[in-house]
Amino acid sequence: MTLSKDLLEILACPQCKGEIVPDDNHDKLYCHACKLAYPVRDDIPVMLIDEALPLA
Amino acid sequence: MNREFKNKIREQFGRAADGYIHDKGFASGSDLEEMVRLLQPMPEDNMLDVACGGGHTALRFSPLVRSVVASDLTMVMLKKAQEHISDEGGVDNITFREADAEDLPFPAGAFTLLTCRVAPHHFPDVARALNEFHRVLRRGGRIAIVDTLLPKDPEIAEWYQEMEKMRDPTHIQAYTEEKWQEMVQEAGFILHETVTVPKTHDFPTWAKRAGLNREGIAALNKFFVDAPDKVQDYFQIETFAGEVEAYTDRKVLVYASRPPKK
Repeated sequence: MTLSKDLLEILACPQCKGEIVPDDNHDKLYCHACKLAYPVRDDIPVMLIDEALPLA
Repeated sequence: MNREFKNKIREQFGRAADGYIHDKGFASGSDLEEMVRLLQPMPEDNMLDVACGGGHTALRFSPLVRSVVASDLTMVMLKKAQEHISDEGGVDNITFREADAEDLPFPAGAFTLLTCRVAPHHFPDVARALNEFHRVLRRGGRIAIVDTLLPKDPEIAEWYQEMEKMRDPTHIQAYTEEKWQEMVQEAGFILHETVTVPKTHDFPTWAKRAGLNREGIAALNKFFVDAPDKVQDYFQIETFAGEVEAYTDRKVLVYASRPPKK
């Protein structure tokens, strides 16, 4: 399953509550404002601030 | 929520996930039916179930609404809930998110219905979670929270808090009905109704579900047996030959809504 557009519309960054953008493989979700990447594990987005990876 | 406590929750519920998924008390229960009755879910509702645990609330509501987003802090629990729901079959409108109730990953006004069942006693900051619930709910949206009720009598309340912490180290605090009414209104909701319902627990199943070992269960059994008379009466503690067989606590259900557009 890939994350459909509808589903992304009801996701936001848990930190700034701003927009989330998926990468091409739909295995990460980016918040460009916070410079964080949220992982997707087994089709479940991990929307936890302290599990997010900082973007270089 | 601090990282150390979050890990404690994950450890607790990761270990206990199977017990929660297959628990009959969670799968059905008068509190769940009361939620349905009060919220009156509609086919156009977009629902969020916070701290979904085994996914029972999401599953009960899913045929009645357009979509359900089920969130929980524990990935193991989410995966088991996802498997359980796919085994049930025919459900295609539930999606899962790993999320912290105090920092929800949803835009403002994203949902028309919000549920949170038997979870807030694990939240370090309930006021913060309620503010998040208010933010993600659309104006006019309805919310129902069920949690374990703190008895009014201070002596019974103290025994109850101590007992719950013995059973489950991630139990933080239960609240009285009055405190719930106050907190929900402080977060900006219109309070419509609070209901309390009794819930009888089969002691061995309930103690094991939290992951207690034999010594832990024995200590908890002793704590029940040694409880003062008024505690015994309040919780209707049933024993046979020194073993606790069952007890009955109460759940509080809070039904409220976000004020509509002016």
